[in-house]
Amino acid sequence: MAGMTAIISVTGLGKSFGAVTAVDDLSFEAPPGAITAFLGPNGAGKTTTLRMVLGLVTPTRGAATIGGVPYRRLERPLERVGAVLESASFHPGLTGEAHLEAVRLAAGLPAARVGQVLEQVGLEAAGRRRVRAYSLGMRQRLALATALLGAPPVLVLDEPANGLDPDGVRWLRGFLRAYALEGNTVLVSTHVLAEIERIADHVVIIAGGRLRWSGALAPGTDLEDLYLEATR
Amino acid sequence: MTARPDRPSLAEPGGTTPSTTTPARSRLVRAELAKARAARSTLVLVALAPPFCALWAALLARLPAPDDAARVAGVYAMAQQAYVFAMLLGVMGTAGEYRHRTITWAFLATPGRGAVVAAKLAAYGLIGLLVAVPSAAATLLAGASLLSAGGHPALTGDVPLVLLGATASTVLYALLGVALGALIRSQVAAVALTVLLFAYGDYTLGLFLPDVYRWLPTGAARALGGLRPDSGPLLPWWGGGLLFGAYVAAFVLLARLVTLRRDVT
Repeated sequence: MAGMTAIISVTGLGKSFGAVTAVDDLSFEAPPGAITAFLGPNGAGKTTTLRMVLGLVTPTRGAATIGGVPYRRLERPLERVGAVLESASFHPGLTGEAHLEAVRLAAGLPAARVGQVLEQVGLEAAGRRRVRAYSLGMRQRLALATALLGAPPVLVLDEPANGLDPDGVRWLRGFLRAYALEGNTVLVSTHVLAEIERIADHVVIIAGGRLRWSGALAPGTDLEDLYLEATR
Repeated sequence: MTARPDRPSLAEPGGTTPSTTTPARSRLVRAELAKARAARSTLVLVALAPPFCALWAALLARLPAPDDAARVAGVYAMAQQAYVFAMLLGVMGTAGEYRHRTITWAFLATPGRGAVVAAKLAAYGLIGLLVAVPSAAATLLAGASLLSAGGHPALTGDVPLVLLGATASTVLYALLGVALGALIRSQVAAVALTVLLFAYGDYTLGLFLPDVYRWLPTGAARALGGLRPDSGPLLPWWGGGLLFGAYVAAFVLLARLVTLRRDVT
């Protein structure tokens, strides 16, 4: 029962920007204890959908909830949901630590969390350096560290492997697998099918803002074939 | 691995709106101040304002003036020149968050965006004070020493009011900067537009339309700060203060409205 409070539900979700429909009548769920892969071509509406889940973009129709509650109505949201967005960005003049400290203060989390999440993502040594000097992979780790500040039971990730080196990709894979095994919810958008195929439990495929396929990823399924078939 | 699996305490569907209690508010202000303090540009702008005002005061102390009273008033009114630093701090503190897309983190932590706007206003009001008070002190020091060195009277009864008004106008400019940064979002455009508009545009318009200038934002702000320009009469200091305060309030309300409604993409 408790686990269901971490379910991500998208119901009849739609978003129009003027005359352009970015997302159209989209419904799916990302359950706890599993990794849900969110796939689709560029411009399919993945990022817009994730931003609606996170309360950053207001839906034109439908709703997105976490444990039945829209993000904007969550109490202490960083302790419920962690987010790594594609355009996750930082003030280049701030150190990684200063960035985390500002978010920690705003979220009212204990001071010790900053050091803990830096260690968790393997950035202890770089925490005192300005973000300007970070590689893309280090920024991606800092974004993940920010998402983990509130130790949330839900992670929403937009292209998290972007810029990671092979070491980083392997680390992220292990991290997400363990995180989901602990009963947490992971919703992750990516283009790297071979990678996500190794860890995804569920797959949601969209194209042109609409749902094309969703379901459990059966062992032995060729995700690339499934994806190309669904988005054709 | 510190992730916790299940949270039985999660809110029920239809739960309460995000908390805006006093501790939550003060946390948000502290978060804004932490971000501001960690950026070098903040330190530079705060440090530049007092010497800039002192230089203006020194210049005015040497310029010819119709009489001593006008000279003294003109010198101390230079404390309001700190406004440009306060305004830039507000603009960069807000537009910079859009430029670097860090506003996303702020709204993820605090989805009730009105609280983020309020915290920015409070933080940059304080930072504005941090710009204004040393600037007023530097103006007083430079002005008093140069006036007496030049054989002029160094102080009049109006001086405290002029310095207080200049401080108030500088703080209001910081709030105006926050509002303009939130409205314009592009940092380069916001900086360029605010400097052109509030340092030159308004003033130039005043040269051509002296009867209108006193009703414009900068005319009102200059009246509040005790400036008596040659271009034409301004409102009394209190009238300027009320009018400039109303302008700032209007921009702040508009910025809040737009921030609440806008999609963050």
